[in-house]
Amino acid sequence: MSTPTPANGMDRRSFLRTSAVLTTGLAALAASLKPLMEMNDFPTAERFMQKYYKEMTPADMDKVLKRITNEVEKQYGLRPHVRDYKPMDGVQYVYCLNLTRCIGCRKCVHACVAENNQSRNPEIQYIRVLKMEDGSLDIEKAEHDYDPEQVPEKGFFYMPVQCQQCKNPPCVKVCPVHATWQETDGITVVDYDWCIGCRYCEAACPYWARRFNWTKPEIPKERLNPEMSYLGNRPRRQGVMEKCHFCIQRTRQGKYPACLEVCPAGARKFGNILDPNSEVSYILNHKRVFIQLKEEMGTSPRFFYYFDV
Amino acid sequence: MFSQPKMNSSARTRLVLLALAAVFAGLTILFVFGSSGRPRLQNIPLVDTNFLNTATVRRSYADLVRDKEDLSDFDCYACHEKGKAPPLRFDTNQNIIVAKEHPDIVMGHGSHGRNNNCFNCHNETNLLALQSRDGRPLTFSDSPQLCGSCHGPTYRDWEAGAHGRTSGYWERSLGSINRKQCVNCHNPHSPHFPGRKPAPGPHLLHPPEVATATEPESHH
Amino acid sequence: MIQAIKNYFTFLQRCGRLVFIGDWRYFTWTGTLAVFCLLGLNAYCKQFAHGLITTGMSDQVSWGVYIANFTFLVGVAAAAVMMVIPVYIYDNEELHDLVIFGELLAVAAIIMCLLFVTVDLGRPDRFWHLIPGLGQFNFPASMLSWDVIVLNGYLLLNVHICGYLIYCRYQKKLPAKWFYYPFVFIAIVWAISIHTVTAFLYVGLGGRPFWNSSIVGPRFLASAFSAGPALIILAIQVVRRVTATVPSGDAKQRFAGAANPKTVASRPATLDDLELLARFLPEFDSVSKDVRREILPGLAVLDVPAGDTFLRQGETDPHAFFVLKGQVVVEREESGRYRITRSARPGEQFGEVSALAGTPRMATAIAEEATQVLRVPSDALRKMMKSPRMNKIVHARMAERLMITDRALMILRNIVQVSMLINVFLLVNEVFKEFYSGNLHSISAKYLFVGLHGHHALVPWIWSAILLNLTAMVLLILPVSRSLKWLNLTCVLCIVGIWIEKGMGLVIPGFIPTPLGQMVEYSPSLNETLICLGIWAFGLLCYTLFLRMAVPILQGRLSKANEGQPEDEVLPVLAANSSAQN
Repeated sequence: MSTPTPANGMDRRSFLRTSAVLTTGLAALAASLKPLMEMNDFPTAERFMQKYYKEMTPADMDKVLKRITNEVEKQYGLRPHVRDYKPMDGVQYVYCLNLTRCIGCRKCVHACVAENNQSRNPEIQYIRVLKMEDGSLDIEKAEHDYDPEQVPEKGFFYMPVQCQQCKNPPCVKVCPVHATWQETDGITVVDYDWCIGCRYCEAACPYWARRFNWTKPEIPKERLNPEMSYLGNRPRRQGVMEKCHFCIQRTRQGKYPACLEVCPAGARKFGNILDPNSEVSYILNHKRVFIQLKEEMGTSPRFFYYFDV
Repeated sequence: MFSQPKMNSSARTRLVLLALAAVFAGLTILFVFGSSGRPRLQNIPLVDTNFLNTATVRRSYADLVRDKEDLSDFDCYACHEKGKAPPLRFDTNQNIIVAKEHPDIVMGHGSHGRNNNCFNCHNETNLLALQSRDGRPLTFSDSPQLCGSCHGPTYRDWEAGAHGRTSGYWERSLGSINRKQCVNCHNPHSPHFPGRKPAPGPHLLHPPEVATATEPESHH
Repeated sequence: MIQAIKNYFTFLQRCGRLVFIGDWRYFTWTGTLAVFCLLGLNAYCKQFAHGLITTGMSDQVSWGVYIANFTFLVGVAAAAVMMVIPVYIYDNEELHDLVIFGELLAVAAIIMCLLFVTVDLGRPDRFWHLIPGLGQFNFPASMLSWDVIVLNGYLLLNVHICGYLIYCRYQKKLPAKWFYYPFVFIAIVWAISIHTVTAFLYVGLGGRPFWNSSIVGPRFLASAFSAGPALIILAIQVVRRVTATVPSGDAKQRFAGAANPKTVASRPATLDDLELLARFLPEFDSVSKDVRREILPGLAVLDVPAGDTFLRQGETDPHAFFVLKGQVVVEREESGRYRITRSARPGEQFGEVSALAGTPRMATAIAEEATQVLRVPSDALRKMMKSPRMNKIVHARMAERLMITDRALMILRNIVQVSMLINVFLLVNEVFKEFYSGNLHSISAKYLFVGLHGHHALVPWIWSAILLNLTAMVLLILPVSRSLKWLNLTCVLCIVGIWIEKGMGLVIPGFIPTPLGQMVEYSPSLNETLICLGIWAFGLLCYTLFLRMAVPILQGRLSKANEGQPEDEVLPVLAANSSAQN
């Protein structure tokens, strides 16, 4: 052998060298994990193993609701009332929005935020009011940031957009874990404890209706709404999707959603289309021109925009 | 097979390994004392609670009566003579001249002075009541009928719940509704729905002026 | 059974030890990659703790550079295996060992893909929700669920094929065709599917007209088959470089050296020698005694002292050799550098290619220790190979040389050439469709190519990408790219151009403007960039380590036969290689 090979047992210097590299390397590896100590939300074993909503027995759900109640109380100092409201039979929700009446005041946006315990910072708002030029439905020309001294402004109309609870929802189709689905009464819901946060639904939605929790949501304690539901307005976590759910904690008790209650102009109408005496049945039977946004997408939205004059 | 390994290149290996150890040590220090990565959020003020108020635009006389509030401001016969209809005065353009004793009334009901006769709605024989188009007296709480006698389609919509505000329960069997009257939104003297300052617009997650940086201190 | 597991364990242990042996270039390279991995890991911990707000993404642009890299790398992984087609379908010898490099690249690329998807998740702790049976797997409706299946399946396929082939090489056993051939064909089909499924992720979204177009799928494949083989062309040249060396003074002499077979001690072979051969080469048993007696007169046995050269590259010599004792290393010289193409132990052959084909020697044979070989003239070899078992083993061993020829690179170049032409043609199609009719659905394309409403952050990027791709295409058409220097430049242009086009030019414009017309632009944050670099570094590190383990085995340097020898002794050539490098 012409090549002198290093002896099999290393000499002390090279052993020290190797262990220096290995030690510092492992130290760097351990130190790199330090930011994990800031985690405020690491799941407990119970939360990690929590079942899918549709597979929970009533007893499972009770346990989960109790746990949520305790968590919210601990965090906000207010004991909430968390329930799981089931859909009513013979109900198909429809929302009608009168574009002649909307003045673009954005009260609906903020009433929704207050009712549904959305994060204030970073800001999550399910409803986006678009200021549109009279004469055209070209959404591309819409303005989102208008802030004049007075609304409505002449020559414009205002179109609030939120989740359309489509009959043929693209978001439901694409979710890889079935974390979002449409219930029998027409509301497309999200199981916040099942969502893995891949945001495929956000890419799929043609109405830009879905919101993601980019960090831990911030709800001021004094503005927390303690009347909560599992699929609705209970506080969400970092890393999950959420969206308008027609105020499921109100509507499944027969009440109007918060956006409708606050609208000063009465532009919003909501109800059960299967009830011939509801406002929405009247509107759909008596008004002539309805706009379903992006109808050509084939999503069949439950939101009908119309004009009186 | 080949020549002996040159001393300088295994020296190079030693150097590289030592440098590597030093870099790892440096990284360790960087990680331990570096920033935690906590995002610095912009300042978004909480929305004014006025914007969350579900109250109607105005409260009508009928509301005040119903709620048994102080009606001293609305005692017509404190000034007017009972049984005598107050005189109406018009200017050269046939526009009504509102008496200076009623400073809060601005007439704007109908363009071109179409509806500028007070007694189109008010009852000249009983100022505490209204009158229908055919002269029958109407109480103030029946005012929608009066509005509907001209604004038929809107009245029909209102009756069905499609116009105006209805709050409460869409499922009537579970609770009651509260349907607002015309005058809860429309001032009968100038009924055009009032404009207002809109609530604040949306904030971007990463506003362009303030890059989302990370800093070691806590933000909130 | 237990023994088999123990053997495998020993094999893994030896491979593992190989990772820590290298020269200063190796440690600099892996060390730098490790540093970036650590920076990326730290950045990811920050993201895991505080959420995806640490990135530049927002509700308006909800996928960014993670998914862009994922899309690019799925293409690379698919293309790496598509190279397999010429080898297995057209039986192209030149590319045979390159297949393993391609598949190892595919494994590294898929690992990177899976990492990019994981770091993009808002709740990676809920990964089990994806597992069919345990969680709620939305198959077949959700294209993401398809992606989960095809990517993981592809990883397993390639790990199996590579692992099996390499382990067989280590054991100096012939791989059983039924154990890997079917998987190879499945892998070819699967490779197309992983990229088509990834394209369908985008195409299926009707709400995003920029993506909702039938050209996206074919464009994905065309760009993948340009960038993937381009990457392999570059990677293979790196392998060629680092496994080769410039020998110093006296070694060079030895190569040029005079020792030739005739001056080495030789004697006629006897039947006993053939018995010895049969002991090491069981297939030789199938050669009957009659044939043996027939060929015996032409056979000779050579005793070669350690370090002597007895076969030189370029010579014409119609003899093949079988090793009876000792070890022979066969090295090939290319552009002044030498690489081990195979290492032959008792029972193994070398020199058979020239004997059978009559071509000049492709490499030089050097005895690594005192060696005894059996020299077989070509007609005798052919008579031996009349027996099917001998035929099979000789052909199989012939394929087990680590030859990375320039011709192989040219075949890859052809793949890149055709793919890039198709890619540019599809681009022209896309641009025409978007801009000729002028309808509203092309606003995202407008944003990308010319800017929209005062926002034009992506315009310089896409035009740079188009320029790079067009230049690459022209260079590929011209014969100048047959020279390696120009080919390498072309490959770099191609890879960068396609990375920009597929990443920034596909993913980001789909979000701008939003479906409600809002214009919010995107740029990755520092943290996000560090995570991307960390994952790339990890992938490159994986690939480096895979090659570090695979190349000595493919060269025959590390095998079952030399178990017990410590790795740094087994590879003195490598250590010396690098140290002899100036």
